[in-house]
Amino acid sequence: MMDSLKLLAPLAWRNLWRNPRRTSITLIVVTIGLWSILVLSSFMTGWMESSRDASLRLLIAQGQIHADGYLDDPNIDHLMPMPDATLTAALNSPAIANWVARLELPAVAQSEYKTLPVTLLGVDPEAELRISSVPGKVVEGRYLTDLDDDSAIIGLNMAKRLKTALGRRIILMVTDADGALAERSFDVVGLFDADVGFEDTYVFTGRNLMQSMVKAEGKIAQIAFEIPEEEDLAPTLASLRAAAPGLDVRAWRKLSLLLGAMDASMAITVYIWLAVMMVMVSIGIINTQLMAVFERIHEFGLLRALGLKPGHVLALITLESMLLIGVGVLIGMLAAVLTILALRGGIDLSAFAKALEAFQSGDTIYMLFLPLDYVIFPLAVWGIGVVVALWPAWRAQKISPVEAMRHAT
Amino acid sequence: MQHEGRDMKPIVSCKGVTKIFGKGELAVHALRGIDLDIMEGDFATLAGPSGSGKTTLLNMIGALDHPSGGEVMIDGQPLKGMKKAALSDLRLHKIGFIFQAYNLVPVLSARENVEFVLRLLRIDPAKRHQRADAALAEVGLAGMENRRPSALSGGQQQRVAIARALVARPRIVLADEPTANLDSGTTAELVALMSRLNRESGVTFLIGTHDPRVMSHSKRHIEMTDGQIDSDTRS
Repeated sequence: MMDSLKLLAPLAWRNLWRNPRRTSITLIVVTIGLWSILVLSSFMTGWMESSRDASLRLLIAQGQIHADGYLDDPNIDHLMPMPDATLTAALNSPAIANWVARLELPAVAQSEYKTLPVTLLGVDPEAELRISSVPGKVVEGRYLTDLDDDSAIIGLNMAKRLKTALGRRIILMVTDADGALAERSFDVVGLFDADVGFEDTYVFTGRNLMQSMVKAEGKIAQIAFEIPEEEDLAPTLASLRAAAPGLDVRAWRKLSLLLGAMDASMAITVYIWLAVMMVMVSIGIINTQLMAVFERIHEFGLLRALGLKPGHVLALITLESMLLIGVGVLIGMLAAVLTILALRGGIDLSAFAKALEAFQSGDTIYMLFLPLDYVIFPLAVWGIGVVVALWPAWRAQKISPVEAMRHAT
Repeated sequence: MQHEGRDMKPIVSCKGVTKIFGKGELAVHALRGIDLDIMEGDFATLAGPSGSGKTTLLNMIGALDHPSGGEVMIDGQPLKGMKKAALSDLRLHKIGFIFQAYNLVPVLSARENVEFVLRLLRIDPAKRHQRADAALAEVGLAGMENRRPSALSGGQQQRVAIARALVARPRIVLADEPTANLDSGTTAELVALMSRLNRESGVTFLIGTHDPRVMSHSKRHIEMTDGQIDSDTRS
């Protein structure tokens, strides 16, 4: 084996450079193919993470706890008490970075001109500052000050649709614990800027105030929590379930099916691109190697006549493919690393801000360096490239020396 | 050292060798029952018009092609039934080839072309260099070891091919039209070289040729017509 390698490797390497133009074209195809796969994967993952983090930072966080049945029917009958000592201890453990308790109920918002269905959220403003990005998105007025704050924060678009404005009042109506319609007037003290769907849905007020309004003192609808590392989510969920038997503890993927689906579709997109690139690279390699083989049929006949075995011919051509694709793969990896380094400051997509709003990804996408990609994708490109090049190699080793020698004469 | 073929054992032995290309009405009978022994030390030329079967016979003897009938033996070993890899081994160990010009590997230097056969024989690098350089010196190419074929003339390339054919010390060297692409001066030099190698080193040659300058040096002349041997004379 080593003897054969010593015999064939230098010959294979020199053969690659017999036609520098053709070799360069193949190298470019392999390089661009792998580069595009690696860069696309970094971009898509960066985009997905940015979009996911932004979405989770709004309200969802990494997970939530609800009373059983609340998510299927989010009304006042499915509230739960504030966490008991066991659950509080679990929530205050180092496994959880921050948590917040909210009261959330469907409501109706009414201005002098219009009535809209909304979701009313009673929040703890101080805790929200640590876990949610909504306080930072208030662009006009102020955020809530405390649990008893009796004013309201609404989205810019909702203000527009209600034809109301900062400093004016709206009426919020919600079913209370007795089943009666509770209504109250709120000063609009702040307007937040998020994606249109979020702006049109949520109205924020103090939690104590809302509990009192719906006669549900000490009751909440959800506990949202965030953890330091996404990888620790599964054990954290398990420990919370143990601490809160009877409650519904879910990870963000189960809370936002759209986000979960987007996360999966990004990975699928990368693999579809990988498949497209692999087909292109394979066609390029087969074409190049077939040409390289047919141009040298006579030479293979000569080598066979001199005593080279058919298996050596197969090995020689396969080795040429391994070297050629290997060099392309190395250049492709290097190009991808350099591209990611060059774009480490982020890709400014502010020109597409409106379109990106739907993905909640922000104006700047930061590409992620994913070390595992630099093992899996290069090996896939290299392995598949070498496999497809086996066909011309197999054809070359099948031809008899006398046929091959006749080829040129 | 002079060898008289009749006193030696045959290196090549053909018995009733036939070769038919194609089938039915399109069948071409390239060889029609060849009986031929090539003896150790022979310097034989195989002549005849185009289509007479010279190259086909050389291919059979060189284990490059299979006969349709009959038997070919090299150094007492029948080729019939041997697998491709075994035939490669036999060619490597027992047969040297000289083809028409331009049959060197273009990406290898003169030394590397000659060494290639020794590499296949797994001879260690130091001995390989020594033997390759000696073979090149023997054909008058000392000092040109590192030149690629593209930097050599047609005659020099053919000398490298001769060195390559001889370096593994084969039992027989088969040459098919070795002077076909060479000018008369170079042809004369090459023929003189092969003749000297036969005379001084006892290398057995079987040369397929049209060239009267080659035939004039041969000690044995075999004439073929229509796939049959017309005459086999020794001088």
